[in-house]
Amino acid sequence: MITKRQLGFIVIALGLLMLAATVGVDLIGAGQWGGFGPLQRIGIGLSLPAVAVGCVLIRLGDRPA
Amino acid sequence: MPLSRILKSLGAALALLAVLAYLGYMIVYVVYAVNLFQWPFDYDQGEGFELYDAILYNQGEWPYQSNSTYPFYASNYPPLFHLLIVPLLPVFGPRLVAGRLVSFAATLITGGVIFVVVRRKVSGWLIPLVSGMAYLASNYVYQVGPLCRMHMTMVMFEALAIAFIAEFEHSRHGRRNLILGLLMLLCAGYTKQMAVFTVAAALSYVFLRDIKKAIVAGVALTVVAGAIFWLLNIATEGQWWINTIQANVNKFDYRQTIFLFKQWFQLHTIFILLAASYLVYELFWDRLSAYSLWFLFSLGAGALSGKWGAGFGYFTTAIAAACLTSGLALGRLRDWKLGIGSPAPQEQTNWGLGIGAVIIPLLYLVQAPRMLHTPTSGPVFGPLARALGVENALVYGTSDNLAENHCAVVQYHDAMGYTQLGHMLTADDYAAGEEILNYVRTSNGPILSEEAMFSLLAGEPVVTNPTQLLNLYNNNLLDTTEIVERISQQEFGLIIFRAQFYPHPVLEAVGQNYKPVEHICMNGFYYHILWPQRKLDNPSE
Repeated sequence: MITKRQLGFIVIALGLLMLAATVGVDLIGAGQWGGFGPLQRIGIGLSLPAVAVGCVLIRLGDRPA
Repeated sequence: MPLSRILKSLGAALALLAVLAYLGYMIVYVVYAVNLFQWPFDYDQGEGFELYDAILYNQGEWPYQSNSTYPFYASNYPPLFHLLIVPLLPVFGPRLVAGRLVSFAATLITGGVIFVVVRRKVSGWLIPLVSGMAYLASNYVYQVGPLCRMHMTMVMFEALAIAFIAEFEHSRHGRRNLILGLLMLLCAGYTKQMAVFTVAAALSYVFLRDIKKAIVAGVALTVVAGAIFWLLNIATEGQWWINTIQANVNKFDYRQTIFLFKQWFQLHTIFILLAASYLVYELFWDRLSAYSLWFLFSLGAGALSGKWGAGFGYFTTAIAAACLTSGLALGRLRDWKLGIGSPAPQEQTNWGLGIGAVIIPLLYLVQAPRMLHTPTSGPVFGPLARALGVENALVYGTSDNLAENHCAVVQYHDAMGYTQLGHMLTADDYAAGEEILNYVRTSNGPILSEEAMFSLLAGEPVVTNPTQLLNLYNNNLLDTTEIVERISQQEFGLIIFRAQFYPHPVLEAVGQNYKPVEHICMNGFYYHILWPQRKLDNPSE
């Protein structure tokens, strides 16, 4: 059984992974826009709240997720 | 009269109104479906090709073949929906009604699954009944449901899978439920590839509750699905992989996704807000259910709606999940307000009655007109449309405001605005279909048509699946040498264009060797009839 705390860590990891991918695409030159594109803004808009949700879940401790 | 009795009477009246509103949508859905069952031609481009896949299976042939050689045809979808049509072919013959009945029945079953699940979790009849009917009342489900397309059958298998897997910890039938759930996931995936999001939702749910079972279930599903995949690829000499995987890598337009997300939200606002609230509630205050996770993961399918060839149909899983989860949310809200399970003071009970009896049907009544769609003509729907004030609200109803590329008046209103689907067929449409079919029957040689039904109804071979050719061409997977050569030699007695979705070299070759002879308006679209130059040079041919 997964706890809220463990789920929190999983959600944070996924959020950070998405954040890294969103920022990282510029490093490998992918995408069709110069600078920060609209899809990257959407990526940031999803990944940062995911990290925030994960932080809250960690504080909920060992209750079942 | 005590407050509780007033609330109960008001609630009963509102509940009746709510049930009637959603029942009305069901009637509109059935009328539309029956209208389509009689229509012999493609209503939505692609229907005929799905039927043709079933015909090929019936003949013991694979629809996964090379697109570079005659007849330049392959399917880009998995086989299950087409296999479900096969038993109906001896009854209906090679007619679209066979596939349309399968899809329509699938939507009814999905609505039924939603009803049963909510009924088992929530007391009373109103919430389960409206939750099930709401799925059929959705504009998207209404439009796509009775088409000979596989998407709604996939949603049916997804709903069944989630219903079974949600009960995988059942004390007596847990193991059976898990196995049936995995089987339904397999069926959903082999109906349409989009089911991958529901697979992720179901396995995530099992993972949260029992890591070991999740790993075993995930490995078992992967092995079985992988084995079938491998066997299909071997049997079709690699064409399965090319046509169902590689050909489906298409351009993505994020603006289309954003537009469709907005539209989906505007049409189903109450259901979505309730489902999202229930997800948040379970995430922080309770345990996550399979239903909330299904709703969350189904948004991933919606996110893919920006793909070329995709559309609002990609949200139908999310609609099923939202209808189901919103029912659970309302049931929980009502039980909480009624103080069920703990002694409650009289004042709270009255509030509870207010929520349970009045607010819930009121929410359903607020939601109902947001999805408004109805025919606007006829002895019943004409007066109804006038009563609802939508008879003049047609986006494409009159000759001076016809939408671009839409050539006929459409007596239909939809809260979505302009839509290619949803309207009834007219006598003019039937006459136009016969006119086109007459061209096919009198042509000399095979025909090249963007819709398969003209060929099937005339007993001609189905040649090309244009969107599949275009997908492959855009992915550098199509050799157009042979088809261009055959067009250049004017081997096809007739060409019928609708959307001109063929690859550029094919269109170019057609432009050089075939000339338009008539443009026929059918079902709101112009069908362009082209004859070979040789026939125009020698009319007696």
